[in-house]
Amino acid sequence: MDSGLGAEKDLNDAAAGALPDGRRGIRIKGWEIESCKRPILGSLATRENRAPAYQTPLDGLRQRQIEDQSKTWLVHGWEEKLGTSHLPEMIFGESSLNLLHMESGIRIHFNAFDALKGWKQEPLPPVEVIAAAKWKFRSKPIQQIILDYDYTFTTPYCGSEAIEVKHEKLNLNDMRRSLNWEDCHQRINLAALSSNEPILFYDEIILYEDELADNGISLLTVKVRVMPSSWFLLLRFWLRVDGVLMRLRDTRIYCSFSGYNGSQPVLLRESCWREATIQSFIVQGLPADSRDYHDPNGISQMLPITAQKIQRLKISS
Amino acid sequence: MEILVEESNVQRVDAPVTICGDIHGQFYDMKELFKVGGDCPKTNYLFLGDFVDRGFYSVETFLLLLALKVRYPDRITLIRGNHESRQITQVYGFYDECLRKYGSVNVWRYCTDIFDYLSLSALIENKIFSVHGGLSPNITTLDQIRTIDRKQEVPHDGAMCDLLWSDPEDVVDGWGLSPRGAGFLFGGNIVSSFNRSNNIDYICRAHQLVMEGYKWMFNNQIVTVWSAPNYCYRCGNVAAILELDENLNKQFRVFDAAPQEARGVPSKKPAPDYFL
Repeated sequence: MDSGLGAEKDLNDAAAGALPDGRRGIRIKGWEIESCKRPILGSLATRENRAPAYQTPLDGLRQRQIEDQSKTWLVHGWEEKLGTSHLPEMIFGESSLNLLHMESGIRIHFNAFDALKGWKQEPLPPVEVIAAAKWKFRSKPIQQIILDYDYTFTTPYCGSEAIEVKHEKLNLNDMRRSLNWEDCHQRINLAALSSNEPILFYDEIILYEDELADNGISLLTVKVRVMPSSWFLLLRFWLRVDGVLMRLRDTRIYCSFSGYNGSQPVLLRESCWREATIQSFIVQGLPADSRDYHDPNGISQMLPITAQKIQRLKISS
Repeated sequence: MEILVEESNVQRVDAPVTICGDIHGQFYDMKELFKVGGDCPKTNYLFLGDFVDRGFYSVETFLLLLALKVRYPDRITLIRGNHESRQITQVYGFYDECLRKYGSVNVWRYCTDIFDYLSLSALIENKIFSVHGGLSPNITTLDQIRTIDRKQEVPHDGAMCDLLWSDPEDVVDGWGLSPRGAGFLFGGNIVSSFNRSNNIDYICRAHQLVMEGYKWMFNNQIVTVWSAPNYCYRCGNVAAILELDENLNKQFRVFDAAPQEARGVPSKKPAPDYFL
């Protein structure tokens, strides 16, 4: 299986190595960077209804895996915890990216659950699809409920952070420490990131995805690359409602292995939110077809910025 | 086309039959499906639409199904999904795939012309109603479906649109309107009264991804069948088909995606890129 790791010589030159126990990731300059990719969450309903004379061409092991998944990765548990019965169609609920600085205990991680908590806390008004205009003139059934949750699953999520306290060294000072992102002026060094350093570890993890019932796409992914001098990641929320709007929320985090503040690494975070309606594109003479807007990379610069933040991580005690 | 045009909007299907949900251009996984379910014409098949888009092999998938239809018209029934449409296929892959593989959109044009002739639903032994999406507030009887003029692009609203697009929904009792402002959701009591007035045991539909391949709702009055394993080559879900014997006894068969080596294509591993 592809490990995501770079060439062995490059790893050796950078005194980096694979994570033990078959975990996917890299150990480098006091960091442990690990990615985890698992299938989507399952639902409970089928288990109750599974016929007793269940026959399957699956082998026993695979069957047990699926049963286990159904037991532990229930969407229903998430629905209860998040207080909603409407969740993205594809939640990669056990997938994650973890970056742990072993000396300071600083842990930055990315997961679908925290992202969906963010979605719940930012109640955006529903976005109407193109066909909605026609539907307004349609005769309605007498008894009708209009659902109004934000089906685009737009999230303000920029990642999660925590201080991992080592049990053997547990003291009161450790317990009191907390992490905050505070505004700063220091930008991420894009020039350094553009140099052709070898990539020692690379991965892209989908956290959740929804097809908006074939009206576009809502996708939350995180990509990471680790070089001899630094690591860099991009968390991206990408939304396209066909013929209506595009929304891009990017969070970039950068950590240079050479810049330390005492024993603590320096982490810079830049968030940039962009959004445009297709109508505004049409006015500018740009195409209206969704076919032209599959790849957010190609169009991000065309979307006006709606919010921006530059921050660094601070440990307060 | 001559075969399809003769079919009713509620095509009669005899048991035994094997019902299959969305395929979405996952050709090698459909070959896996035939391994599990048996070859056509030995096995009688009913496919509930969404043959194309999203996967890499929409052309091969639809053309194989169509060839089987031409060769064994009484042993395979194809009904229309919401992706069997000019508009949707232009956004979700089939159009681009045809252009890439043939250098012109003629194949896409011929295929989408055929889509217009596909039946809208099927009725198995007068007891099981099968449709891609679900019910419509404009439809209470099967005869109302029979009167639809289906030979057209899937409209944006109305009964034909609903049959291909709507979804069952736990939280509504009666009808619900999606927060998108278009698209109906129907609750358990809608299904009960439809089944009762049409003397139907249950509804079998596709259209929504289910991790375990199939999912019953509303006290076994409606079942979703999903036949695209490891959907979009990354979801890790299993797929299912529903086998009905001559007495309509049910047997779900669950299957995995075709093994990588059977695909003849390199796996999609993420290539390291210097993203910024």
